[in-house]
Amino acid sequence: MTPALEIAGLTKTFGEKVAADHVDLTVPPGSFYGLVGQNGAGKTTTLSMATGLLRPDGGSARIFGADVWSDPSRALAMVGVLPDGLAMPERLTGREVLTYLGLLRGLAKDVVAARAQELLSVLELDQAEKTLVIEYSTGMRKKIGLAAALLHAPRLLVLDEPFEAVDPVSAATIKTILRGFVAGGGSIVLSSHVMALVEQLCDHVAVIDRGRVAAAGPLEQVRGDRSLEDTFVGLVGSSDTGSRGLSWLSR
Amino acid sequence: MAVALTVPRTMAAMKLAVLRNSMSGQKAGSIVMGGVLGLVLAGGTLYAAFQSGDLLAAAYAVWMLGWIFGPVFAGGGDETLRPEYFTSLGLAPRRLAAGLLVSAFVGVAPAISLLALSGLVVFGVRQSPAAVPVALPAVLLQLAVFVLLSRVAVAVMGLALRSRAGAIGAGLVNGAILAALGQGWVFAVALGQTGGVPAGASAAVRLLPSGWGLTAVEAAGTGEWGRAGLALGALAVLVALLLATWAALLARRAGSVKASARGRRPITAATATGAVMAKELRTWSRDLVRTHQLTFAVAYGVFFAAAPLVLGWNAMLPWAGPIFIIMAAAMSANLYGVDGTELWLTLLSPGAADVRGRQLAWLLAVGPVAAALTLGLTSVTGGPWPMALALTAALLGGAAGLVPLIAVYALVPGIDPHRRGNNPLRSSEDDGAMTGLAYAVLVLVALTGAPAAVAAALYGWAGVAVGVLTGGLCLWGFGLLAQRRLHAQGPELLHMMRTGKRPAAKPGSWARFDDLPKREQIITAVCWSLGAIPLFPQGIVAGVLKVNGTEDRSWFLALHLPEALQWPVIAFMVLLGLGVYGLGLWIPYRRRTR
Repeated sequence: MTPALEIAGLTKTFGEKVAADHVDLTVPPGSFYGLVGQNGAGKTTTLSMATGLLRPDGGSARIFGADVWSDPSRALAMVGVLPDGLAMPERLTGREVLTYLGLLRGLAKDVVAARAQELLSVLELDQAEKTLVIEYSTGMRKKIGLAAALLHAPRLLVLDEPFEAVDPVSAATIKTILRGFVAGGGSIVLSSHVMALVEQLCDHVAVIDRGRVAAAGPLEQVRGDRSLEDTFVGLVGSSDTGSRGLSWLSR
Repeated sequence: MAVALTVPRTMAAMKLAVLRNSMSGQKAGSIVMGGVLGLVLAGGTLYAAFQSGDLLAAAYAVWMLGWIFGPVFAGGGDETLRPEYFTSLGLAPRRLAAGLLVSAFVGVAPAISLLALSGLVVFGVRQSPAAVPVALPAVLLQLAVFVLLSRVAVAVMGLALRSRAGAIGAGLVNGAILAALGQGWVFAVALGQTGGVPAGASAAVRLLPSGWGLTAVEAAGTGEWGRAGLALGALAVLVALLLATWAALLARRAGSVKASARGRRPITAATATGAVMAKELRTWSRDLVRTHQLTFAVAYGVFFAAAPLVLGWNAMLPWAGPIFIIMAAAMSANLYGVDGTELWLTLLSPGAADVRGRQLAWLLAVGPVAAALTLGLTSVTGGPWPMALALTAALLGGAAGLVPLIAVYALVPGIDPHRRGNNPLRSSEDDGAMTGLAYAVLVLVALTGAPAAVAAALYGWAGVAVGVLTGGLCLWGFGLLAQRRLHAQGPELLHMMRTGKRPAAKPGSWARFDDLPKREQIITAVCWSLGAIPLFPQGIVAGVLKVNGTEDRSWFLALHLPEALQWPVIAFMVLLGLGVYGLGLWIPYRRRTR
């Protein structure tokens, strides 16, 4: 079976810093794949290279067999992307953003209108019909980003920190939608540094550390009989800094 | 007292640390370039101090206007320390403003202005040694006035840009002021004076706050101590008033912008290009910074062309449209940069023609106004129709082609709109590069009008056909080039905006100015700023004057020398100028990356 996303040897160097060092990952179709790692481990760099947003120094990325860099129009039509912290068309309302992006993707006008309506109401953004994206809260920004990623009915979703700074109510909505997407045959790759969240949602996991894949595979296999957090700390090799307290705070 | 001084001292130290850190990064290039340019201007001001009081007063008026309008049009001014950084400390507004004011004096621009203002001391010494004790406080007070005026101007603009009426009003006022400055000669002539600095202007530049320091020094030089004290006192009162105003404005700045609740018309487009156009047009009308820029461009064009009406001369009116087009193009120079990382959406839909949509939107936003100005005002004067129409058509197409092209080739990384904080003018960290880009667009767009202008001047109505043709070609061709560049280099452009840094040069190409060692940056910048002096005035112009047998020797060195030496010195000056430019080219060439 063709993998939903196949990353082979992706490498990127910024000056002296190797942000991604021959990253290999295979995301099976229908899987919910979690990418965990510390801040600066190379998660965003890897996902950006896999979705055509950052040109790699070496290696390749294929989405359902289509190469992202040599056949972008076919590859990118099958993926929905939610990057972390990038700008949107800020002076449009949520509905206008979806209309704009749908037309940009080449969807028919009435299809766009119907899907936008449905997405806005499922994500509870239809209350803020007159609000521009620039006035949105962080949670609302993530939700409109997710709606934009889902709009053209992709088969793979690539989400960078989709739950970062999102309130619990919005997070629950997003989780429901993501689970439904996988149940309907879609595949998801998401990055996070919240272990509990990945354990709760994902069936596959990869641990990224200093630009390399430290471990990858089905969740049960990677964590064994320990919690994902213990496995992660073991793999990433953190020292005992966590057990030291702050002297001036103890009474 | 010690506590009262802690806040300003800490803030000044913070600012110094940030500046020191940025000098090792890529921003150093802009800082060095701006610094050298500033030194040249300060040198010119000191030269004026040796000439006449009128000239010096006029020079300080220009410095003051630079402090006020520079930040309004070039990225919101110095925001190294933002007021928001200190909100959690709970400082009283006056203390916050005092601290920020002290830190505002730390920097390249204040240091250069201080050098320019030391012209007051020079002027005082030339008058009488007794004027020096007055000149020293005058320098400091004058600098405080400049820095504070700049801060208050940015704060007032920040408030104005919270409402549409404010944005339009500010655009009209700024356009009128800058156009009046550009047409200063009209008012000088209107006051009935020709030759030399007219008496009215001489008094006017001293009445401006920028002239009060000079007034004090002049009064002290002639022994009018009362008048000197009055001028110094007025400066001190102005500083106190501006500080209080700034403190009040800072307190208001902390509040966030109200959410809009206007009715929205739905997007009715059915194609990708139509969607881009709809998005752009909505951005034009909803982003109050763009509203301000467009209003400014209209006001500038109209007032610039209408100023000679003061003399009863209306022949300039037809050029309001073309001037507006050029100004609007310069204002939208960083078309992609101001949207920040929004570019990722364009990269994900490789088939959509983003550039074409933006071009059409630009034409729709600027074109109708430009056409109305040209048609309306040319019919007032009754002509010349061919020239006005030819220029309007050629410039509209030229600008709509060049703006996206330059925006993708010379992109200045912008700050994402949702991260700009409370200063809406702050669209980029690199305001030096933004200013340079705006001037480049100004000149290049004006050049696209040249073929049509020449044709209209020689053949009349045929010029209109030429204008439509070159306009269409620019629109189509430059747009195509921009689209290709966007496709080929999209990820690199996005990365530049994510990191805010321009990428390192490719192997084989010349070293970028930013990548040179600091010492070589300074040498290169000096070469580029000063090369013109030996080459043009001292070399070519002196040669032309000599050929024409002009009597006026002015400051042309060669013409002051014995006859036998004149041509050799002229030739030497031309060679020196070329050599200096050559050195400015050779340094980055030698450092080209391999």
